[in-house]
Amino acid sequence: MASKNLASQPPPHGSDINATWGFLEQGIDQIMNRLEDGLTYKRYMEIYTVIYNYCTTKAAPDGMSASIQTRGATLGGSDLYSHLIRYFQKHLEETRKDSEKFMDVSLLEFYTKQWVKFTGASTYVHHLFTYLNRHWVKREIDEGRKTVHDVGTLALVSWKDSLFSHVERNVMAAVLQLIERQRNGEGVETSLLRNVVESFVSLGLDENDSKKTTLEVYRQYFEKPFIAATEVYYKMESEKFLSENSVTEYMKKAEVRLAEEESRVQMYLHASTHKPLIQNCETVLVKGHTEIIWEEFQNLLNQDKQEDLYRMFSLLLRIPNGLDPLRARFEAHVRKAGLSAIEKIADESTETLEPKVYVDALLEVHKKYNDLVQTAFRGEAGFVASLDKACREFVNRNKICKSSTSKSPEQLARYCDSLLRKSSKNPEENDLEEILNSIMTVFKYVEDKDVFQKFYSKMLAKRLVNDTSASEDAEAGMISRLKEACGFEYTSKLQRMFTDMGLSKELNDAFRDKMAQNHDAADSTVDFSILVLGTASWPLQAPTTSFNLPDDVVKTYERFQAFYQAKHSGRKLNWLFQLSKADLKTNYIKSSKTGYSFQTSTYQMGILLQYNTGVSYSLEELQTQTNLNPDILSGALGILVKAKVLLLGNGENVGDALTRYDLNMDFKSKKIRVNLNLPLKSEQKVETEETHKTIEEDRKLLMQAAIVRIMKTRKVMKHVALMNEVITQLQTRFKPRVPDIKKCIDVLLEKEYIERVEGQKDMFSYVA
Amino acid sequence: MTVILVSSDNQDFKVDKEVAERSILIKNMLEDVGESDSPIPLPNVTSAVLTKVIEYCEHHRNDPVQVPEETDDPRKRSNDIEEWDMKFMQVDQEMLFEIILAANYLDIKPLLDVGCKTVANIIKGKTPEEIRKAFNIVNDFTPEEEAQIKKENEWAEDR
Repeated sequence: MASKNLASQPPPHGSDINATWGFLEQGIDQIMNRLEDGLTYKRYMEIYTVIYNYCTTKAAPDGMSASIQTRGATLGGSDLYSHLIRYFQKHLEETRKDSEKFMDVSLLEFYTKQWVKFTGASTYVHHLFTYLNRHWVKREIDEGRKTVHDVGTLALVSWKDSLFSHVERNVMAAVLQLIERQRNGEGVETSLLRNVVESFVSLGLDENDSKKTTLEVYRQYFEKPFIAATEVYYKMESEKFLSENSVTEYMKKAEVRLAEEESRVQMYLHASTHKPLIQNCETVLVKGHTEIIWEEFQNLLNQDKQEDLYRMFSLLLRIPNGLDPLRARFEAHVRKAGLSAIEKIADESTETLEPKVYVDALLEVHKKYNDLVQTAFRGEAGFVASLDKACREFVNRNKICKSSTSKSPEQLARYCDSLLRKSSKNPEENDLEEILNSIMTVFKYVEDKDVFQKFYSKMLAKRLVNDTSASEDAEAGMISRLKEACGFEYTSKLQRMFTDMGLSKELNDAFRDKMAQNHDAADSTVDFSILVLGTASWPLQAPTTSFNLPDDVVKTYERFQAFYQAKHSGRKLNWLFQLSKADLKTNYIKSSKTGYSFQTSTYQMGILLQYNTGVSYSLEELQTQTNLNPDILSGALGILVKAKVLLLGNGENVGDALTRYDLNMDFKSKKIRVNLNLPLKSEQKVETEETHKTIEEDRKLLMQAAIVRIMKTRKVMKHVALMNEVITQLQTRFKPRVPDIKKCIDVLLEKEYIERVEGQKDMFSYVA
Repeated sequence: MTVILVSSDNQDFKVDKEVAERSILIKNMLEDVGESDSPIPLPNVTSAVLTKVIEYCEHHRNDPVQVPEETDDPRKRSNDIEEWDMKFMQVDQEMLFEIILAANYLDIKPLLDVGCKTVANIIKGKTPEEIRKAFNIVNDFTPEEEAQIKKENEWAEDR
C-alpha cells in the first residue's frame, strides 16, 4: 500500500510491480501536481533507477508478475506501462471535473493553464521513463502494436482521450466568442488563444508514426469551426455595412478587415490557416459583393479617384476573374475619352487642323490613362492590354479620321516634319527627344504604318532638297526610333536618302574641280550645285511640264550631263526642275545701287531671264520661249506680278490672253533678298491627295507580292487560309481589307501567277 | 560549469557539465530539473566503473551529439572501432561488462556500441567450446540437443 512514508523509505530494488509502482506513483504525483516545489537530483535519479532496475531484473518465473515469460532476455514493462496509463486517466479525469466549474474566458484560462502544466510535467515523466521507452516500448512498436506509444506521446494521447474530447466543444465556443469580441474591437488576451492553438496542434498525432504530428485535430476541431464562424461574421457585417455606407467606404472596410485577418494568423493561429482563412474572407468580403463593386468602377473612373481605384483593383485582384469586367469597362472608358478629346478639337478648329494639336490631344489621353494603369492598377498586364486596345481604336478611328484611318499617320508625320524642319519654334534638344519619344507612343498604335512612311519620306525629301532640316542628329534619332519599332526594311529608303545627300556633296566638289581644270573662271558664269538622288529611294515625281532651259544655264547643264555620264555610264539623269531653285541678281533697277537678289524657282528664272532681251512680253510669247504649260506659267507669273517684279499691262488678270507683262524698272523692296519661290496652295492639296492615292497603289502591290510569296512556299492553299496569312504578314504595315485582297487574287489569277485547283472549291495553287 | 557525480560507493567525481552530458540521462535531468550545486547520485555505478566512463566521456567531449534517429545498420560492423576506443576497451572481462551495463544505465549510446562491438570481436572466429571457455559458461545442453542445434545451423558453418 502506498503511504506518505514511502518517499522516505529506500527505493525498491527488483521486479516487484506493486512495490515499484507504489514508489513511482508518489514521484509522478509530485511531478504532475507539485512540480513548482521542485525536484532534487537525488529524487530524480531514484525514480529513474527504480524504473531501470525494474526493467532489467528478470522476474522470477513463479513471481507475481503477470508478464508472460519467454525464453531468453525479457524486456519487462507492460505492467508499468498499464499503471502509467491508468494514472494519466485518473489524473486527467480529475482535471476534467475541475474544468466543469468554468465557462468562457475562465475556461480558456483553466484549460491553457492545465495544458502548460501537463505538458511540462509529461516531459519529465517521458525522460524518467527513458529506459522503458528505449526497450519495452520500442520493442512493442517494432512489433507493430499501434496502441503503445512512448511515454511523452502517451501523455498527449491520454489528454486527448480523457480531457480534450470532453471539453473541446466548450473550449472552442469560448475561443470563438473571444475572437468575435476581438473582431468587435475589444482588447483580448491573445496568449490564451495562442496556447489553445498550440495544444490543438500538438494533439495531432500520427497513428502510424508517433514521432510525426499531423494537423488533423487542429483542422477538424479548431480550423473548421473557426472558418465557419468567420464566414458568418463577415457575411453579416459586410451586408449591414453596405446597406448603410457607400461602396468606397466599404472597400476601405474590407481592406482593413483583410489586413486584420492576416495579422490574426501571425498573432495566434497556425500558419497553415492563412490560406483557407484569407480565401474565405476574400470570398465573403469581395466575391460576395463583386456586382456592386464593379458598378462603382465607372464612377471612380469618371471622378479620377486613383486611391479608390487602386483599392478596388487590389481587392478584386484577390478573387478569380474579379478584374475582367473592369478591364472591359476601362477599355471602353479610355476609348470614349479619346474619341471625345478628338471630337472637341475637331469642332474647335474650323479650318485646317494643326498636327501638333491633334497629336497632343491623342497623347494627353494616353498619358492620363497610362499613368492611371501604372499607379492604380500597378501596371497589370491585362489593363495595359486594355489601354493599348482602346488607344489603337481611338488613334485610328475618330472624328478626324472619319474618312480614312490614314489621317492619323499623316498628321503624325506632319507633326514630325514641323519639329524637324528649321523654324523659329524648334524645341530645345532635350524637349525634342521627349516629344519624339511620345510621337513613337502614338506611332505604336497607328495601323497604317505605311501611310506614315509615305508622308514621312515625302517630307524628309523636301527637308533635304530644300535644305531645311533643323538637325542632322534629330533626323538620325528619329530614323533609329522608327527602325527599332518597324525593322530595317521600314527605314532603309529613308537611310538611303541621307546617303545620297552625302554622295551629292562629293559629286559637286568633284564637278567644281573638273570645271576649274578645264575652263577659265570667266567661262563659268553660273554658280551651280546639284543633288543626284536615286529614283528608288526618293519619293519625287518627274516634272509635269516641259521646259526650255534658258541659254544662260544650258552650257552648265550640258557640262554636268557629260561629266556625270562619263562617271556613271548607263545611268539616266532626270532633271527635276520643279524642285530646283535659282538666285538672280538685278542690275536694271535704278533706285538700288547694289541691286536686289531674287530667290526664284527654276521656272521663274526661265521667265525672268527673258527680260534680259526685252522689257515686255505677252503670255503667248513667254509660253513659246519657256515652253512651260499654261497652268505652271500663270502660277509662276502670278507670284511675280503679286511681288510687283512684273507689272500687268493691258489687262486685269494674270492669264488673260491680251495681258502683257512688263518688267517693273522701279521695283522696290525693304529687303535686298526677295523670296519669290513660294509654294502654290493648290499644289499642296493636290500633293496630299496624290500621296494617298499612291498609297492605295502601293498596297495593291504589297498584297500581290505577299500572295505570291505565300503561294510560292505553300504551293496549294485554301482561300480563307491565304487571306489570313496575308493579313498576318502585312498587319505591321497596314490592315488589308478583305475585298482588296480578293481583287488582288483576281489580278494574280488573270496574270497566271496562281490558278484555281480543279474540282476543289476555294483552293488555289501556285503556277511556277 | 561543473557537476558532482556520486558513485554507488559514495565517491564524488567533479566533471565538466559538457562531459557529464555525454550521458543522455544526466543531460535530460539537468534540462528538466535545472542546474544546482547538489551532487548527482548514480546508485547503479561503482567508482571504479565511473572512473572509466568519465575517462571515455572526457575523450569524446567534443564529438557531435548523436542524432537519436535510428540509422542502425542491420549488419553492424564490429571492425570500425577507433584506435583510442580499442585501447580503452582493453580491460578485464568483468570491467568490460560493467562498462557496458553503466553505458546502458547512463544512456551513453556510443559507449554502449563500442562495448558490444568489443564483445562481438571476442566471440568472432571461436568454436562454441572456445566461447564457453572464454566466458566461463557451463555447457547445459544434452548431447542430443547439441546435435540437433548443430544440424539446424549447418548452413551457417564456415567451410
